[in-house]
Amino acid sequence: MRILQTHKSRIPDAPATGSPINQVDWDLLWERFGTTVVTITIWFIAGLSTPGFANVDNFVSVLRQSAFVGVSAVGMTFAIIAGTFDLSVGSTQALCAWVAVSVAKVAGVFPAFVTAVALGGVIGLCNGSLVALVRIPAFIATLGTMFLINGLTYIVTNGQTARFSGKPFVWWGNAQVMNLPVPFVVFLGCALLGAAILYRTSFGRFIYAIGCNREAANVAGVPVAKTTTLVFVVVGLFTGLGAMLLGARLYSAGPGLEPGFELNVIATVVLGGTRLAGGRGSMLGTVAAAILFATLANVLNLNHVDAFVQRVVVGLVLLLALSVEGVRQRLAEYWSKRVARIPQSSQPLRGDQL
Amino acid sequence: MDEIQRVPILAVQNLSRRFPGVLALDNVSFDILAGEVHALVGENGAGKSTLIGILAGVYQPSAGQVLLDQKPAFFPDPLSSQRAGISVIFQEFSLLPHLSVAENVFISREPRHGLTVDWATMNRRTQEILSTLNVEIDPATLVSELAVGQQQLVEIARALSAKTRMIVMDEPTAALNEREAVRLLEIVRSLAAGGVSVLYVSHRLEEVFSIADRITVLRDGRHIVTERRSAITEQRVVSAMVGRELVHSTRPSRTAGAIVLETKDVTVDGGLVRKVSFSLRRGEVLGLAGLMGSGCSELMEGLYGLREITEGSFLIEGRPVRIVNPRSAILTGVGLVPEDRKRQSVFPDLSVAHNLTIGNLPRWFWAFPGLLDLAGERRKTLDYKRQLNIRFTRPEQRISGLSGGNQQKVILARALAGNCRLLLLAEPTRGVDVGAKAEIYALIDRLVQKGIAVILQTSELPELIRLADRCIVFVAGEPRGELCGAEITQEAVMSLATGLSHRVTVDSASLRSVQ
Amino acid sequence: MLLMVGGVFAVLSPRFLTPGNLLNVCTSASVVAIVGLGMTLAIASGNFDLSVGSTAAFAGCVTVSLVQQIGVALAILAGLATGATVGLINGLIVTELGVPAFIATLGMLTIVRGAALIYTGGRDIYLYGQTQYKILSSGLTPVLLALALAIVLWFVLQHTRFGRHILATGSNAMSARRVGVRTSLVLLGVFSIVGAAAALSGLILSAQVLTGNGRLATGLELSAIAVVVLGGTPLTGGQASIAGTLQGSVLVAVINNGLNLLNVSIFYQNVTLGLLLLGAIALEALRTDRRRTKQLTTR
Repeated sequence: MRILQTHKSRIPDAPATGSPINQVDWDLLWERFGTTVVTITIWFIAGLSTPGFANVDNFVSVLRQSAFVGVSAVGMTFAIIAGTFDLSVGSTQALCAWVAVSVAKVAGVFPAFVTAVALGGVIGLCNGSLVALVRIPAFIATLGTMFLINGLTYIVTNGQTARFSGKPFVWWGNAQVMNLPVPFVVFLGCALLGAAILYRTSFGRFIYAIGCNREAANVAGVPVAKTTTLVFVVVGLFTGLGAMLLGARLYSAGPGLEPGFELNVIATVVLGGTRLAGGRGSMLGTVAAAILFATLANVLNLNHVDAFVQRVVVGLVLLLALSVEGVRQRLAEYWSKRVARIPQSSQPLRGDQL
Repeated sequence: MDEIQRVPILAVQNLSRRFPGVLALDNVSFDILAGEVHALVGENGAGKSTLIGILAGVYQPSAGQVLLDQKPAFFPDPLSSQRAGISVIFQEFSLLPHLSVAENVFISREPRHGLTVDWATMNRRTQEILSTLNVEIDPATLVSELAVGQQQLVEIARALSAKTRMIVMDEPTAALNEREAVRLLEIVRSLAAGGVSVLYVSHRLEEVFSIADRITVLRDGRHIVTERRSAITEQRVVSAMVGRELVHSTRPSRTAGAIVLETKDVTVDGGLVRKVSFSLRRGEVLGLAGLMGSGCSELMEGLYGLREITEGSFLIEGRPVRIVNPRSAILTGVGLVPEDRKRQSVFPDLSVAHNLTIGNLPRWFWAFPGLLDLAGERRKTLDYKRQLNIRFTRPEQRISGLSGGNQQKVILARALAGNCRLLLLAEPTRGVDVGAKAEIYALIDRLVQKGIAVILQTSELPELIRLADRCIVFVAGEPRGELCGAEITQEAVMSLATGLSHRVTVDSASLRSVQ
Repeated sequence: MLLMVGGVFAVLSPRFLTPGNLLNVCTSASVVAIVGLGMTLAIASGNFDLSVGSTAAFAGCVTVSLVQQIGVALAILAGLATGATVGLINGLIVTELGVPAFIATLGMLTIVRGAALIYTGGRDIYLYGQTQYKILSSGLTPVLLALALAIVLWFVLQHTRFGRHILATGSNAMSARRVGVRTSLVLLGVFSIVGAAAALSGLILSAQVLTGNGRLATGLELSAIAVVVLGGTPLTGGQASIAGTLQGSVLVAVINNGLNLLNVSIFYQNVTLGLLLLGAIALEALRTDRRRTKQLTTR
């Protein structure tokens, strides 16, 4: 995907330097657990420095908050590992949430759940077809669907918010199970399911392969187009589920729900250690990152920081997480240039060495 | 050719370059004179590309130096080598397709009229350069509209406009048709006559002998000989290119079984390879040999489903098959070890086990989802580790930590893992060190003994001789000749492949003299 | 095609062809055109800028807030400078930090939007009785600005080294670098121009309502990309059609206006735009796809 390429391309044919077999794979370790470490550290610091942070109610609130972005991020993790991504999750969430609330009003919880998730899946299927079959770059395709669905949401809802506060429905967004908020439990369940799919099924393996080396995946017989399409369906399904939870939490849903959501979701996945270029990533990282984000928002809130500033912070954090990838690449290039010399004592003076 | 004493403008001295696992250049020294056409000849892997890379500023030497006008020169990046007067025309060109010929020629040096580009001057000067090349192209045409041969001329024009002193051409006629190739050779001659040195890197000895002033032969990264064209014969060049100590192991005698594969008049992708007909038996190794662009790799890709077979048919065990993609190839029992490991085989961030099993993951109805048997995968990986003697610590470790040879064995295991009846090997020991090479040959022997049929596409002649029972040599997309058993010698293959009209015979005396 | 669509609307609504309405169309076309022209440059160089909407809003806020202090002219300059700076930052992130352009600008979209909201404290800044600023959006000024920008950019792309290097970078960045084009500098310039163009659009928009509003121009990025694509500039870079972008802008403005007059809800307009964009790109993708599949395994 040419559009995904960064500006500085790598040195052509730079030799790959493999690490010795015995060395501990620090890279992988940091990727898997780094975010968790950072999160716990921040908890510590915040607990000590911010009043109102270190109590059970607050923690519960943080965990609950992390679930709404988190569920969608579980799906997005699939996409990013596969080397693609989906910008339409924000609009999808708004539409699915509205549908969930509206259906819950007339038919109850279970139908609401089914319709929201199914709608998400259908949208995902559209996205997937555009990207895998029509071969539109994911960025443009999902940008287009994002606006399409946004508009559709306004049309369908007539600009109105749907409200419903029936007990069984809002339970899903507001109650607690064994002291843990329900949405969070659902989030964990999704993460576990996502992890199972990623690590235990062929589908998951294909995703890693495609993200790591698309051409090699094709040569090895991986069904690239089908897998890519299904990835988008997965994103849609999870987003639909998260949408229902959000609707239950807020007792309402309508167009314009959570602007900037897609950025939050992508930022969560990237912050969790999944590389934007694909081929590497872990579900644990995503979970940790979701909690981290919620913690950050919470801390900022408790410190009475402006809502707008918070949004800026999210953007900055994403850019920071992404630049790390770019900076690391530059460093790697620089090192590979230097490693190639065999030092020899009798080398003539390089007078014009720049 | 007149024997005026010419001054060396460029020299390499004790140049060496190491990559992980392989010494690509080993103490190479020779020089290039002003205004000469200097041919650089050698097989794949002889070190030509590495040398070009160093001259172009893409790589830096691991040892030794480059001398420009007898002073040490250092090229940390492509731009510095261009400024020093060296232009390199890579095989894939460095052109900007959406811009015009004149713009490409003068890119980053555009003549200006104050703030604006001076089109008139630019077009005029381009026209001048093009006419010195005896070429009729309108400087305003977009490069994307030109034929490959013309695009190459634009590259040459750009070099000339930059007052280059030496042009390095890497396999310049590989993508040209006959007429364009002839024209190019004329241009090379006139360039040299005009004082620009040309380092002409090519396999094609006919061409080399028609324009070169001096010829340098590289082999296995080492410099073998540099000699004036008038003082050397084709036989000697061929011997220098291929002559080396015989490989220690020899090919075991094999008994071939039933016919496994038959191809009839196969054409790939509408003409990249044409009229291929052969049959292959179990327990037999068929070699495909030929220069780059001769069609061997395209044929392999066609058999595996990466390219379309547009004409002809092939049968596996008597039944006609249509292989449309790699998956159907694997299901039919065809496995491929691709030639570009980095681009087409290896998933560097994934584990050894993942890399090995990727070709055969369980799939239910309509390809999904398939629960994985992780323990079984682990067992399989360890099993193959034993069988193929792959060196790694744990199946879970990342494959990028393995040496080239071991990575290749993993890929081999992947190809075998699916009940493979026909194994396609493309450059199986490229980038693999000597020890692993020998192991892989022994492995192939064992596999063949068990009854697997192998098609081997390789540019390493000793490998071909060591492994192949039969060999088809391709030239320009068509099979030129078939050699069997003891007929397969390096000289025979090379002379067929380079298109020398007469077969070159080498006696053992001259073979010894170049070692 | 433009005439056809225009014709349809003229038939459907009596008010379409009135001078007042046509002026409206021209104004909204110009706004989109200006930012679209900047985006054309970005796409020609092989990149995208998703932050233009936020930049427009931010610049509008800055200018409106400064008009009373330093006068209209300087305030306008300040707004443009703001846009250019945002663009420069975008460019730096892409060239120095190696972050892919659209993700970088996606992040900046949020950041700049947030910055705008912080700057205005979430409230709108009103300009009372300031008629000078209104000039920007009154009468034919927007159209003139758009045309002027179009001519300048066309000239730059056709006749200056910088412009040709933009196309070179988009055509094949690696080759360009190999032959001496300073792609980093080129991209920094491109992004700055995009930012300034976005700022100009934002200024016109805020002049229309004499308000500095942090929420202005959401979705402008989609319109900008849409008009570029509809105008025929390929997403793959290396080519630019200034005239095409202008035509695309007019087309989009006509459609929006027409739908408005027909009392079609504004939300349908978004949907239409999305569909148009996807349709145009799908066509382009299908065309190039046939060429691409042949190259799957060529070396």
